[in-house]
Amino acid sequence: MRLISIILVFVFLSIVGSASPARAQSMLSEDYAATDSIYSPSERAGREIWLFATAFNDRFFTYSYPQRLGAVIDWYKVLAAEKKGDLFNAWGAIPNPDCCVPGDENCPAQSLEETYGFQWCPGDDELLAFVGREGYRDPACDFVDGPFDTATPHGDVDQRQDSCDLHFGTSTGALGLRKFPNPRFDADAWTRLNGSPASWDGYRNMLSPDPNDPDGRMNRIMDGSVEPPFRIGMACGACHIAYDPLNPPADPDNPAWENIKGLVGNQYSRISEMLGSGLSQHRLEWQLVARARPGIVDTSALPMDLVSNPGTMNAIINFARRPVFEQRVLKWRKTEMCAVDADPDACWCEPGKAGKCWERSEKVEDVPFVLKGGEDSIGFNEAIQRVYFNIGSCAEQCWMNHIPDLRAADPAQRNYGQTPFDIGICRRDCASFRAIEDRLDDIKAFFLTARPTDLWQARGLDSPRDLEVALDDEYFDGAVEEGRAVFAQTCARCHSSQPGPYDNVDFTATDPDDPTLRLDWLGNDQLSPATEIGTYSARSLHSNHMKTRVWEQYASLDLHERAHDPNRPEVMSNAGRGYYRNISLLSTWAHAPFMHNNAIGPEICGKPSDRAVDFYRSPYVDDGGQPLADPPNCWAFDPSVEGRYQLYKASMELLLNPEVRTPKMFLLDRDLIIDVAPDIKIGDRELGLSITIPRGFPAVSVNSLRYKDLIQDLVLVKTDPDRFDAKYTENLTPERRDELRAGLLEIREGLEKMAGRTVLKLALGQTDVVQASTDQSLLTVRDEFVQGYYSNVLDRIENAGHRFGEGLSDREKQALIAFVATL
Amino acid sequence: MVRPVFIGILGVAIVLIGAAGLLYSGSQELVQATRPDVPFAPLTDDSLKDPDNPAKVFRVDFARVESDLPLSRADLMALTPDNLRSLNQEEIDQIYGRLAAGPIPDGAYLGDLFFPRGEEGDLEPRLEEIVGGFKGRLAGRKIEIAEKLGRALWKGKMFYREERVLRNFIEDFRPLEALIDNPDALLTANVPREGWLKYFRPTTNVWLVFPAKLYCGQSLLDGRRESIIIDYMFSDEIAGYQKGPDSLAGRGGLQVRDEIRMVRPGFYLGRAYVHKAFLLNFTLYNPEVAEAGAADFMGGGDVAEDCWIGEQARQAAVQ
Repeated sequence: MRLISIILVFVFLSIVGSASPARAQSMLSEDYAATDSIYSPSERAGREIWLFATAFNDRFFTYSYPQRLGAVIDWYKVLAAEKKGDLFNAWGAIPNPDCCVPGDENCPAQSLEETYGFQWCPGDDELLAFVGREGYRDPACDFVDGPFDTATPHGDVDQRQDSCDLHFGTSTGALGLRKFPNPRFDADAWTRLNGSPASWDGYRNMLSPDPNDPDGRMNRIMDGSVEPPFRIGMACGACHIAYDPLNPPADPDNPAWENIKGLVGNQYSRISEMLGSGLSQHRLEWQLVARARPGIVDTSALPMDLVSNPGTMNAIINFARRPVFEQRVLKWRKTEMCAVDADPDACWCEPGKAGKCWERSEKVEDVPFVLKGGEDSIGFNEAIQRVYFNIGSCAEQCWMNHIPDLRAADPAQRNYGQTPFDIGICRRDCASFRAIEDRLDDIKAFFLTARPTDLWQARGLDSPRDLEVALDDEYFDGAVEEGRAVFAQTCARCHSSQPGPYDNVDFTATDPDDPTLRLDWLGNDQLSPATEIGTYSARSLHSNHMKTRVWEQYASLDLHERAHDPNRPEVMSNAGRGYYRNISLLSTWAHAPFMHNNAIGPEICGKPSDRAVDFYRSPYVDDGGQPLADPPNCWAFDPSVEGRYQLYKASMELLLNPEVRTPKMFLLDRDLIIDVAPDIKIGDRELGLSITIPRGFPAVSVNSLRYKDLIQDLVLVKTDPDRFDAKYTENLTPERRDELRAGLLEIREGLEKMAGRTVLKLALGQTDVVQASTDQSLLTVRDEFVQGYYSNVLDRIENAGHRFGEGLSDREKQALIAFVATL
Repeated sequence: MVRPVFIGILGVAIVLIGAAGLLYSGSQELVQATRPDVPFAPLTDDSLKDPDNPAKVFRVDFARVESDLPLSRADLMALTPDNLRSLNQEEIDQIYGRLAAGPIPDGAYLGDLFFPRGEEGDLEPRLEEIVGGFKGRLAGRKIEIAEKLGRALWKGKMFYREERVLRNFIEDFRPLEALIDNPDALLTANVPREGWLKYFRPTTNVWLVFPAKLYCGQSLLDGRRESIIIDYMFSDEIAGYQKGPDSLAGRGGLQVRDEIRMVRPGFYLGRAYVHKAFLLNFTLYNPEVAEAGAADFMGGGDVAEDCWIGEQARQAAVQ
């Protein structure tokens, strides 16, 4: 019998092998496949999708991103084989253990010319043959699906979307970043531009070395006629894959698969800088996308909402015990059929797939709040699917037309502002949406496998008790137990999912049926006004969930109608804005620095060998908002157990002692010049307009400004005063409306006096609203007026707030630090 | 801020072409065309109300316009360069959103242009609606003049499909002479004449200026499928480039970027952007190609597509 089985397996593999030389990712790497053994077939399938599927975003990053959004990525700067050693320290990227530098011993590629300067990764023998031509068979086509669930309304016939539409490609050398052969690549043109197939210099270098020359802010990545050899796509893993806190690599530049986890969240990631890597730092677009500290990303930078609100990648652990909340949810649900004359906006069946239908209806459901403001509150699966839009999937098919064109100044123009993305239309029009949607249960199954990473296990101790002994030794005798009492009295009200009173609660209890699963989520996940917590409120002012905005359909109806926080100073802050979901303290020791923006704690930084990719800038300022001459040093990336623990301790000290925190605020470190209209002189006529924002300005004042409203109002206030009043009836008192009107008229008057070339300059600390220079070409506008009415974010200090516990004694604080390390 | 943006853009356009006067206004027939009888979705989507801005205008999603009201081939045959001028901008946009790129053209295409028209009143230029309130700046008459001057001077585009480049042609460079480095080095070509003079002299010699690159790329209006992009940003690499005047359209100047989609063989609808801000519409028409391809097109013949056509089935009735 065994012999027959072996023969059958051999015959099967021979058939598969001969019919299909490409292989799914799990078959490309033995070491990766070895880490699959602990998962069920569904979990394994979900993991593979989460780590490798791009769902068609390679076109987004190659075409839509530079041509439509105006931002460019220098992929060679990130992924060049010769820069492999800086992947982690410069970009926080996790190196793929299976990739190698061409020419190295045992590397299948012998030269950089073969790989166009990139690392060689498994599957490239097939992929590289298709650079410059059609016909590539994606490894996802050989993806082995998880078992089909026959218990849903979609029946017992497996009609899932073709797995090819998951779009895996092969690794770039950085986990989560995937490459695809570009069929439009012209090898001769590339070599003419760059001098060699291995070089990208002609493509990526600025056209002039002088940053003051406009060509010094321009490169050929912005030339849409040049097609690079690869289209680079991004899997969810790009932000969520990280080093395992329980088993970190001895050398972060050379990890093994057993050091890598797909759900922990990459607290070192500089994905924001990556997204702006092809831009001059003098450009507005760089300021919009690339201002973030490690481990945080502004997911509304692509579907731009003019709120600079980067947040951490959530650690996905212990989700089986995540609190859920009753919400009114309007969404699509599986059904077996639609009426013949059904409105396709209410019921829709996939053509050619009998019984695979979807119905849209409102129901009350228990849903989690996963995002930091609960913006994805229509269900667990939908929250997962939404992540794919954050990484650019189905952009052209589904959502590019719903996000604003930053240059559209006419309010009647299409793409002036956001419009709601339609899930039903996206399902109809994007095969990759369906490919992901049909497998969401697998991804969810994978999510549910992740468990907290306990410090006692990370230290190789035998039991939690051994850790308590060690911590008592470190702090003081009985510290952990005393800390537990402080926690119960001071923190548990928000940071426990169990009901109070908390005196005798076991915060680390586990499920009797699964000792690896914690019973307490260590957070109540409830939404609280950011003004109550006091933390930097930018992330809470997300607006993409609102009615008429791009992700409206991913928010519950209750969220749309959430009560306005009357303490918010921003003019626009209703319709669900201004709230933060509480956070879980599970494995906090491994996830410092703290808060939604990693701002409370020491700054962390990589130490790349190439200074050009060292992105650390001190955010420390004095009380006047000026950069500190001698700021605290940043802490070098250190994913070791001890490194994480020391960072945790330092962050806790700053959390519990807010009076010793040095304020943090990202400032523009150079003048930002926005060329609105070019300088042109014809005869004696001189034209042009630029807006200058001087160095020293808080970056948030630039990238959170509702500049289109400002432009529209400058027109309306004169041409259609009634419409101007109607616009602000709900949001401003009559007195403030009058003040706004007067200020706008003053700016307008100043503009009308301008002649020839005009420079509009924003100024800090000026008392007049506008000030014209004597030469009539420079108009200075007081920023306080502009910000007060037109900024989406008026907070400035990024590490403020959460002062709970500051009144504890030093001993109590030490005890609390010891106890929280055990959670 | 609005004023200088538009003044900057249009001011240059006016200065560029203004010196020409209306020397050639007789060469282009000004036909008061009737509106084409093709379906349109409502101009606004009134089901949407923005919580922050009740004055905000919403348009019907292109994906919905196309699936609910596809343009048949008969509809496309009913469109002409002239009758498109009778539509407001939202209607022009709805047509553009229901087109695909088609093949990258080859040879000479006669051009015409028109600024966006608003929806209120009698198709007033949209720019006038926006900036009319600014004293002394670009009142409607000036926009009208700019359009007339543009039409009088710019005659079309010469496509070099194999090289993936294009050059614009003008009938007389004298108005621009002061801007041209070396008038003697200007490239020239013979193209079909337009207007009533064509009955006497069917072709005319034109000057080729403002070269641009051609490629398939992103539409700045409708991301669901690619358009043919006419990109002036890196035109300094193209043979025959002269800094004066060609740089005016390039990356050191207005950063012009056009995009076109095919209405039917021989006829393209285009959009011109300056510094990525939408400025005007234009049409490109090659009578020979249009005539030769009409019967096959109406008969349901295949249309070549050089660019990515997206996933939403193009629902134009092909039969």
